[in-house]
Amino acid sequence: MSDSIKKETKLDVKPDEQHLLLDHAYDDIQELNHPLPSWWNVTWGITIVFAIGYFVYYQFMKGPTLRDEFNQEYSKIVAIQEEFRIQNSAFNQEYYAGITSNDGVTKGAVVYENNCLPCHNENGKGDIGPNLTDDHWLIAKSTPETIYNVVFNGSEENGMPAWAELLTKDEIYQAVAYVSTFKNTFVKGGKEPQGIKIED
Amino acid sequence: MSSPNGSVPASNRRLETFTYDDQIVKWFVIATVIWGAVALLLGVTVAFQLADWRVNLGLPWTTFGRLRPLHTNAAIFAFCGNAIFAGIYYSHQRLLKARLFNDILSRVHFWGWQFIIILAAITLPLGMTTGKEYAELEWPIDILITLIWVVFAVNFFGTIVRRRERHIYVAIWFYIATIITVAVLHIVNSVELPVTLTKSYSLYSGVQDALVQWWYGHNAVAFFLTTPFLGLMYYFVPKAANRPVYSYRLSIIHFWSLVFIYIWAGPHHLLYTTLPEWAQTLGMVFSVALWMPSWGGMINGLMTLRGVWDKVRTEPGLRFMATSLTFYGMSTFEGPLLSIKSVNSIAHFTDWIPGHVHSGTIGWNYMLIAGILFYLVPKLWNTELYSKRLANIQFWLATVGLLFYVISMLVAGITQSLMWRAMDDAGRLIYPNFIETVIKIVPMYWVRAIGGTLVLISFILMIINLYRTAKKGKSGPEAVYEAYALDDYSLEAGAAAHRKLEGWPMIFAVLSLIAILVGSAIEIVPSLMSDNYITKISAIKPYSPLELYGRDVYIREGCYLCHSQTVRAIPHEVIRYGKASEAAEFVYDHPFQWGSKRTGPDLARVGKKYPHMWHYKHFYDPREVTAGSIMPNYKWLFDKKIDYSTLPKKMAVMKQLGVPYTDDEVVTSVVNAKAQAVEIAGELAQSGVPQKIVEMEVVALISYMQRLGVDYTSMPEEEAPVAEADVK
Repeated sequence: MSDSIKKETKLDVKPDEQHLLLDHAYDDIQELNHPLPSWWNVTWGITIVFAIGYFVYYQFMKGPTLRDEFNQEYSKIVAIQEEFRIQNSAFNQEYYAGITSNDGVTKGAVVYENNCLPCHNENGKGDIGPNLTDDHWLIAKSTPETIYNVVFNGSEENGMPAWAELLTKDEIYQAVAYVSTFKNTFVKGGKEPQGIKIED
Repeated sequence: MSSPNGSVPASNRRLETFTYDDQIVKWFVIATVIWGAVALLLGVTVAFQLADWRVNLGLPWTTFGRLRPLHTNAAIFAFCGNAIFAGIYYSHQRLLKARLFNDILSRVHFWGWQFIIILAAITLPLGMTTGKEYAELEWPIDILITLIWVVFAVNFFGTIVRRRERHIYVAIWFYIATIITVAVLHIVNSVELPVTLTKSYSLYSGVQDALVQWWYGHNAVAFFLTTPFLGLMYYFVPKAANRPVYSYRLSIIHFWSLVFIYIWAGPHHLLYTTLPEWAQTLGMVFSVALWMPSWGGMINGLMTLRGVWDKVRTEPGLRFMATSLTFYGMSTFEGPLLSIKSVNSIAHFTDWIPGHVHSGTIGWNYMLIAGILFYLVPKLWNTELYSKRLANIQFWLATVGLLFYVISMLVAGITQSLMWRAMDDAGRLIYPNFIETVIKIVPMYWVRAIGGTLVLISFILMIINLYRTAKKGKSGPEAVYEAYALDDYSLEAGAAAHRKLEGWPMIFAVLSLIAILVGSAIEIVPSLMSDNYITKISAIKPYSPLELYGRDVYIREGCYLCHSQTVRAIPHEVIRYGKASEAAEFVYDHPFQWGSKRTGPDLARVGKKYPHMWHYKHFYDPREVTAGSIMPNYKWLFDKKIDYSTLPKKMAVMKQLGVPYTDDEVVTSVVNAKAQAVEIAGELAQSGVPQKIVEMEVVALISYMQRLGVDYTSMPEEEAPVAEADVK
């Protein structure tokens, strides 16, 4: 039976593989029996050795966990951020003057448009965030210094982000310079006043 | 070598005549091309929706979140499903020399499956979904799927019982593994408690649900898109090439290793999450070890074409098959690569993943189906292929379209991922606004959409080609075949162990069941058994009734398809979104909503980040608060009233699932929810929002948004890391 399958095959069998043809057929499909390619064996062996080694190292030999690696990396970044915060959290009048004299208001308008506009609306007339053009203030007290403080640190209860985490030092100063131009402009259609009235 | 049973007189052998049921194969072929076109059209639609949000059309049932599940379900279960059934029913009969077990079962199988697809096409756009990817269909349909699958299995194994060929060929090994494993996956992942006819909650929650879901999700790829197609490959490639299969030995090794190893790989979808790390590591290392077993199939396919490459150039069917095997090899190399933790930290949540998936689904599944159909349709309709030239045009369109897709998504994925992690020397993100990273890759979304369109056009050309082929076909008298009934003649004395096993299909089936249960059990059982699987945190409380309702709106609109809800413990991610997620935060999440793709930002820490008004505007038109946003508008949430009627039932079902609501909370849920809605509407009113908003669904959704992550982040610092081992 088997010999006949081999001899009578209608398949396109190459001369160098005749001897590998197996003696069974399914709906005329036949199979050769080539050995496993050696590169395939070797590569599979390597992946298995890697798999075992990796698992053993990280699970049984106190290899660092993902959280360990995270904590280490993250604490470095936090230290850098902290350094920046310490150096810049206080408003620097001189630096502010330097920024304003160097086209700070114009540059600030761009910063404002990209970051503040969604909440404070055009020309600071307020929307989600408070109106910046009236004489009422929630946290800041109308001066660049107090505005800087709110922009830098944000205000969690009012939904104001801490922009020090997002903007560069210069961008913050520029935004403050631009926002300061809104003061007491009482733009038409502005949001109702919020907070306390500040006279100056 | 003569028969070992030469002692049995040949006159005792019973020669039988029989026919094959090819009618059912024709039906499945027709269903394949129809649903294939639908699936691709849906794919192209959602691709354009990502490139331009206006393509969402502003209607609930045409919006991305509802059409995307329809696309994936149609592609996997309708297109590939029907193709599998066509191919299996054709080859199974011939490989066993037996007509399908029962003609009625075959027809119940066919119409039942088409009915399921139509139910999916109706319910998914209506927002009826479980919120679990590729398993979105609701519980009555899940039951129907189970029943039809059983019909298929009975028909399949019944045919095996009546076979006239003692040994089962490698194609059938793969079919067996498919039928058994898909049943196990579907049933285990779909355990859910019904709320109404169209709504249920997953039995599992949080980390456990994520684990079960991705064990299912990954193995849907393995056992619905890979093993059945490898089986088909083993039948149709040697047939079309008229060549013997390269290596029987390789078939054995790669079949068993593939089936055994594949099932472990699911957790590579959950790297860096709060899944216990040993499970993540298992998912990764088994994925790496899966590379060569996968390639075993590619080698056996491509090497079968040895010496006939000239035919690959001239025969469209063979050309599609060879290309599909090449793409199979590429994506099964890419898969293990992507499962390595450090690579995954870059690629996960980005467009690289849909790129990878489509090199499998278009490159492997579609191309192989095309190859099979070019073989099958002329055979079934007893004629020649209508046009080789048309098939060649189809081939180039599909290949170029696929390359557009894969390359654009690779570029988009890596670009966006690098932008997400870019930091300056003050430890600040260079692109803190997520939208910047989206706008950057929108051009790639256009390239992908165009690539997808080319693939769709190629498919339509195939339909024309096959239609014309069938039309000129002639139905002669039904072919009658002859074979001996199964008798002792086919017993082989001294056969090798595996050869013997091939003669015992039912034992073979049991062994493949065991092979897939080992990995499943080791990974999943601990999460079901152990109270210490996750460290509980007492500050994490269940959702309020209104938040629960809002969560169901979130699920209904398919928000999880673009937004994740889990902050991985990776520095840039914590800086962008907030504290890394903890397993305990998700214990009341039936189902979990971690997502798998960040087309928009993560939402695990979005609670209280913005005022209610921000969300109000954002749902109405995201571009009002985020210029350049590609998110659709959700305007219907502003005039769709909250349906409070099912809320007590929802709470009661959650309670049954183990969420610690008191009976009192269940009873008062509606009053409680209305009070919370009034609170939110009151705050919105300060910004001039009309009071009638209090009744609308958007308020519920806002309440859910504002709750996300809040329990954990507002918890006093000293409570945070305390493990409460015996919280009940």
